[in-house]
Amino acid sequence: MVLVLDSLTTAAVLFIVSSGLFMIFGVLQIINFAHGAWLGLGAYATVVTTALGVSPWLALPLAFVVGGVLGGLTERLVVRPLYARPLDAILATWGLGIVIGQLITLAFGRDVQMIPVLMTGTVDVLGTAYSAYRLTAIAIALAIGLGFVLALERTRLGLTARAVIMNEALARALGINTARVRLATFMLGSAVAACAGVLLTPLTSVDPNMGVIWLIGCFMLVMVSGSSVRALALACIVFGTAQVAVGTYVSPILGGMTVAVLCALMLRLRPKGFAGV
Amino acid sequence: MSDRMTQSRGLLLALLLLAAVLVLAGPLFLDRFTMNVLTRSMIYAILALTVDLLWGFTGILTFGQSAFFGAGAYATAMVLTHLGGAPEHFVLAFVLAIAIPTLLAALVGWLSFHQGATPLYATVISLVVPIVMTQLIFAGGQSTGSSSGLVGYPTLALGAANHFRLAGVVLIGFGCLAWVFVRSDAGRMLVAIRDNEMRAAYLGLRVQLVRILLMTVLGGVAGFAGFLLANAARMVAPEIAGFVFGTQLVIWTALGGRGTLLGPVAGTLGIDWLGAKLSGELPFLWQLLIGAIFVVMILFLPRGLAGLVPRRRHQGTPPELVAIPTRRRADAVGPVLSVRGLGKSYGSLHVLESIDLEVHRGELVSLVGPNGAGKTTMMRCLSDGTEPISGSITVLGRDIGGLPPERIVRLGVGRKFQLASVFESLSVADCLRLARMSLDRPSLLRRSRRIGLPAPAIDILRLTGLDGMLNQRAGLLSHGQKQALELAMVVALEPELILLDEPTAGLTKAERAMIGGVLQRLSGELGHAVILIEHDLDFVRIVSQRIVVLHQGRMVMDGTVGEVVDSDLVRAIYSGAANA
Repeated sequence: MVLVLDSLTTAAVLFIVSSGLFMIFGVLQIINFAHGAWLGLGAYATVVTTALGVSPWLALPLAFVVGGVLGGLTERLVVRPLYARPLDAILATWGLGIVIGQLITLAFGRDVQMIPVLMTGTVDVLGTAYSAYRLTAIAIALAIGLGFVLALERTRLGLTARAVIMNEALARALGINTARVRLATFMLGSAVAACAGVLLTPLTSVDPNMGVIWLIGCFMLVMVSGSSVRALALACIVFGTAQVAVGTYVSPILGGMTVAVLCALMLRLRPKGFAGV
Repeated sequence: MSDRMTQSRGLLLALLLLAAVLVLAGPLFLDRFTMNVLTRSMIYAILALTVDLLWGFTGILTFGQSAFFGAGAYATAMVLTHLGGAPEHFVLAFVLAIAIPTLLAALVGWLSFHQGATPLYATVISLVVPIVMTQLIFAGGQSTGSSSGLVGYPTLALGAANHFRLAGVVLIGFGCLAWVFVRSDAGRMLVAIRDNEMRAAYLGLRVQLVRILLMTVLGGVAGFAGFLLANAARMVAPEIAGFVFGTQLVIWTALGGRGTLLGPVAGTLGIDWLGAKLSGELPFLWQLLIGAIFVVMILFLPRGLAGLVPRRRHQGTPPELVAIPTRRRADAVGPVLSVRGLGKSYGSLHVLESIDLEVHRGELVSLVGPNGAGKTTMMRCLSDGTEPISGSITVLGRDIGGLPPERIVRLGVGRKFQLASVFESLSVADCLRLARMSLDRPSLLRRSRRIGLPAPAIDILRLTGLDGMLNQRAGLLSHGQKQALELAMVVALEPELILLDEPTAGLTKAERAMIGGVLQRLSGELGHAVILIEHDLDFVRIVSQRIVVLHQGRMVMDGTVGEVVDSDLVRAIYSGAANA
């Protein structure tokens, strides 16, 4: 039972953490290697709320705003000139990630931060006591996933975003301001990533470079998912389960690389990954 | 050899001598700290060179060289820790430090480069490899020292000064080898693959194999560097195998100047040494500064610091074009090309349906039909066996189903694309050399002074004046010149069957007549089979013997010029009446 819950919650966490990167890659086809830095920023929003003595939940709106603004600046200044050079965009955003990581270090020091957890206690699930927060993560992941699907299929931004994904030249010819769609997407993706950073704080230690550890896993999951939310959800569940299984039965250290290795193999055998499943 | 070339050679030789003197005499005037730091920096510079050869020259962005480096360093440290420091153990450590990363790199190369893999995929794999390597080191417990690494094992007892010299000599040696290689005929392949992978494959070059071999060899070099570090630093830690160190190598290479050899070496030495000096005083600011400079460089100066140095026009006298005897064609019986029931569809959309066609030696067949008739799709099916089709295609009696383009080229099929496709950053001469590489084994060391081409290829160059522009960069040619160059490259392959997709689009009337003459000679006198896609019916009428008409994916006519051009059906198709 614990294994099933672990698998589900791990999948949920992976989904939450990947979603910001996924948005940006899905629409812009740009791999944002500053994603790890957004996660870090979000986590430090919790440090700020703690210092101010307010509820750690308030870190969420703070992270959303900070992430969004910085995301907007990033798109404008760094990413926009590089749409034609996608490999260089990876490098430039990675460089940006270094800068943000060091700025956080300068502001808060390089030590691990102690933060009050968002939620404590356990819940009894069919006779097993389980962390309430990890269960909440499932709900949050579902909410984000549903939000994506609804946003893409029901809103005007979603419609234009889909148009840009399918055929950007045509979208522009039809009078869609693709530059604005890109800006909005990048801002939203960064904001969601920063919020994911807040949500990560109870699960991982908070230090300036915490995001880097998550970056590769997220990146690989997004690679096998393409532009499909369902594919991302499926990938998180399958590989999250595999990670828990390897971590439990083989070695916790090897469990940490399960997602990356399986994704790489999957792309070799099936270049489209889960897209189109 | 021209004066200019001798001059630049002399300059390089002087530079080399200076470097050698600095490396050998350095320990006499450097303090201990600087010497140790520079020893490490020079070892890192070897790695930066491997990253540069992969990324700067060949276009494979890799974060994975650190993993091979780490494998070499750990192999060395583990042998010396667990077996001891007898001479035979150093030999064993040395052999393993190169063998293990080489094998690993071959495996990674095989995984990264396959038919249809995107450049991004290789980057993805290069991220996974160092992560796997670090996790394995963490999981290794006693044998790898886990997170604290290995320390206190016996090392080569050279003393710090000689470790410095050894690292310097190896760096200079590898730098020279790399310099010779990238300037050799074979080395041009790397840039060709970076510039235009598809054209390279359609010249019969085994693009994926070249990449795998390059990665394998450079994996071994990285392992060798690991051996040096494990001895010089007398400790190994998991970080050296990690992804973050891999990105650092890319940053040094980028800042110094990708695609040059001195740039990455200078970048690595400068940044690693400055970093060691400054990080004591302003640890975070230094990283911040490097990160910020890196972003700015990628945005505004993609060629790195080397971009500030103006590119030298280094080419001296142009090479000489030499006509070579054409290969005796095996007088096999039967058609060159035989197509049976060819069909191609995307979902429910049928682009080609039940096409039957035979083309014989010496025949020039024109493929005509309105836009969207499936002409270019048909060319693609004929030249790439991995396209899913129904029916069968045989070239010289051999079924091409499942064969990748480079294999089909080697069977004797040359294809010219609709949009002129050449290697933009290479010279005209290099483009022509590349066209011959699948036939004449290129040298790894020398750049040939003569380019042997079959006579018709030379004719095309003469008639278009390209023979006087051999040192010109192909990217700077006019549209018509690019078309002619590509045609000459395809003809240089001496293909049995030449596929030409609108070779005269965008050419002047005089140029068209010239190309027409060459095509007639290729088929009439030299016995090549040619399939030509062309819209200009006047041109078609002059050059071809047979015309095949495609309409909405079906072959509606196959006959002599007279039969087809004057038929009502063709008029109707071209005027649109047959769409109903």
